[in-house]
Amino acid sequence: MSDTVVETTNLTKNYGDFTALSDLSIHVNRGQILGFIGPNGAGKTTTIKILVGLSKPTSGSATIAGVDCSQNASRIKRLVGYMPDKFGSYDNMRVHEYLDFFGAIFGIPASQRKARIQEVMETTSTTYMQDRYVESLSHGMQQRVGIARTLLHDPEVLILDEPANGLDPKARIEMRQLLLQLAARGKTLIVTSHILPELARICNVVAIVTAGKLRAFGTVDEVMSSLCPQRNYEIQLASASHINQAEKVLGQLLLDSEPLTSSPAELTLRFPTVRTEPELAELLNQLVAAKLPVTQFRELTSDLEDAFLSVAGKD
Amino acid sequence: MNSLSLLKNPILQRELISRLRSPKALIAIALVAIVSCTLVLMRWPREATIDLVSQGSIQVFRPVAYAIAIAIMMLTPAFPATAIVSERRKGTLVLMLNSPTPPWVIYIGKLLANVLLSVLLFSVSLPAIFACYAMGGISIAGNIVPLVLIFLGMAFQYSALGLWVSSRSQSIDASLRWTYGILLGMVVLSIGPTVLVGKLSGLQAWIAQALTTLSPIPALQQITGAQGQAQSIGIATGWIEFLFMCAVSTIGFALATLYKLHPTMMDRSRNAGQVIEATQSSWLRRLSYLVDPNRRKSGIPFWLNPVMVKEFRTRKFGRLHWLLRLIAAGAIVSILLTVVAATGTVNWGVDRIASSMVIMQIGFLLLLGPSLGANLIASEVESGGWQLMRASPISPWRILSGKLLSTFLTLLLLLMATLPGYVMMSYIQPAIGGQVSNVIISLLIATAMVTILSACVSAYSKTSAAATAASYAVLLVLFAGTLLIWLGRGNPFGPLFVERALLLNPAATALAEMKAPGFETFQLIPNGWYVGLSICAAGLVILVLRIARLTRPD
Repeated sequence: MSDTVVETTNLTKNYGDFTALSDLSIHVNRGQILGFIGPNGAGKTTTIKILVGLSKPTSGSATIAGVDCSQNASRIKRLVGYMPDKFGSYDNMRVHEYLDFFGAIFGIPASQRKARIQEVMETTSTTYMQDRYVESLSHGMQQRVGIARTLLHDPEVLILDEPANGLDPKARIEMRQLLLQLAARGKTLIVTSHILPELARICNVVAIVTAGKLRAFGTVDEVMSSLCPQRNYEIQLASASHINQAEKVLGQLLLDSEPLTSSPAELTLRFPTVRTEPELAELLNQLVAAKLPVTQFRELTSDLEDAFLSVAGKD
Repeated sequence: MNSLSLLKNPILQRELISRLRSPKALIAIALVAIVSCTLVLMRWPREATIDLVSQGSIQVFRPVAYAIAIAIMMLTPAFPATAIVSERRKGTLVLMLNSPTPPWVIYIGKLLANVLLSVLLFSVSLPAIFACYAMGGISIAGNIVPLVLIFLGMAFQYSALGLWVSSRSQSIDASLRWTYGILLGMVVLSIGPTVLVGKLSGLQAWIAQALTTLSPIPALQQITGAQGQAQSIGIATGWIEFLFMCAVSTIGFALATLYKLHPTMMDRSRNAGQVIEATQSSWLRRLSYLVDPNRRKSGIPFWLNPVMVKEFRTRKFGRLHWLLRLIAAGAIVSILLTVVAATGTVNWGVDRIASSMVIMQIGFLLLLGPSLGANLIASEVESGGWQLMRASPISPWRILSGKLLSTFLTLLLLLMATLPGYVMMSYIQPAIGGQVSNVIISLLIATAMVTILSACVSAYSKTSAAATAASYAVLLVLFAGTLLIWLGRGNPFGPLFVERALLLNPAATALAEMKAPGFETFQLIPNGWYVGLSICAAGLVILVLRIARLTRPD
């Protein structure tokens, strides 16, 4: 039996002539965290809305735990915990009352609700703020209460829209630990974020969408190797007077597909390349043979941000 | 500062330009022009006969004057009521207050921008007013100039009121609610004591007469040739007194606003809340609060609609401890009214006591109802709570019923406030038992109407501030607008037209049933009930369809 919990197949959503989402096919296994990346208007929220039963696809299908998201929206609502990017605060309501209200509208019996609220507050470390008004909480606190709210009905899948948005570094680390902890408990998470290094640290799989189309999908390493096949190298010289000479030498050695950029202020030259290690060693030899004072010859590491920018730049 | 430098005020320029750019302002101005011209055309005499007493021109002049006055009442306070509070919430007010521009320049800029907009609003109707002058029988000095001065006075007074409330409010919708609430009190409720008390002498009568200067109605009656009508119900003030009161109140509101317009007004910490355990609560606290808002609440029981409970607990305005105090005060007033009448302290008949109680109840309903109802759906959508409810398994019908019940039951509680008075009245005079039952039915219909109509407005509004303003406008048109037509009974409005207009107003049905002064000739039951119930049914259908639309998947 497949362990796939969330699956979309050729998911398409049109609003009149505008295609918000086109042929999106992804799948997420139990206990995995999917990082859903895309610029504003890429189709992330449209996908999320279809998955939580708030929107119907024009074509294609989306299932959660085998349940069709558009045909059986009422079952989906019990399978999914959804945290939108807007918190959804109420005036004059304390955290405990807030969770009690959402527990009640999710149909948790009053006899079990109290214990369940205590449990989710312990999980999200929000017990100490239970008597505070929700509107008086800081953004980071509200995000944690938001996650507690999504956990109330013990859903299989958590869909979190920008949970780390606007959080300070400490709150961001706490949020990351909380998400990893939930995945370790067997919850499947779909997380959108603009803070890509944050996602790279916690996600098992990544999906990059732009203009409604899936540009990359897989593990972080798979996405990186498919989107960033070129490596970036940086050469640092001892003095700025050698920059012109270095440019001439490298101009003869590098190909057209390896555009050279120099930064005399930083005493550096950079170029992207797909050369192998021996080929790079030969290049370095030739620079040394030309009596250039090379102090450093190093690879610049690429991250998810570079992968995303390489896709976003094409649109 | 001369007039030219006043116009160079950067706040005035920015406010005026931004408002004139708004399509809403253009629509409002166009509507006023269209309505005033249509009224002139409707009332223009068709027979080619000479009207020696010039009644024809007065009959045209009067509805035009009332229509423009209503437009000023509805439209003028909306912008100033949001002017300061919205700038504070956006953070632009602190930037202005920290600039070298003194607070009074900021205030004058905001006030004048709004007054100029109101002047523009009523200026477009001047051709219609001068058309009446062309008919003869209306003088510039005796009618037109005083009318324009009244409009100008209203523009200053309502703008200053809106700014004052805005400077004290924490949210845009609260500011709108309080502004329109106070406006309702100034325009309609201020003449209530004189109408009900009648011609008394001494301090009571003086206070009652002074209150009437807050309302433009007596002033308008005086210059539209209906002063006799005003005098017949005991009003002795006119347009001069009204303008004096406008000047005094505008200065008062301005000083109170300037006092608040200071950088320290932003220096407030967020209330984190304090929980009072049941065992810690002192007897004094229990007595003063009745329902303690800080007391730890138990979970929502299975037999209660959770949305209804949430609404009761989270509303910004009309929380239960305040409502219970209001109800207690209302109950005491109603019993006192009945007791003083029964003991012969004042020479009031049962009709006057019942009428005063009806007016008190309608005042409560119109003060609280629109703001409670207007926040039901719009504020939920605005805060993001609606999206969360949509993502939960709760049914749309349960959401709607919970929300409607929360407002209906609250307003019903308010109606209960005067029940002791009615009970005592029926005990004193058992023959009026039937009338009292009919009044209570009319008030129940009024409650349902206020709840459903404001919820309808809320369901179609994008923000709670817009919903609050629109709800007050709709209900004021329905309740106060029909009473303005009643004030023009006999001239220019015929009895049939007045009766048809009053059928829309359940408060009028109740007043007619109790034979309140001025309502003796109208028989509005049962047709008024049928009309009221039809409005409720139509509103409910619209509401159900809208909620179904808002909750179904996109």
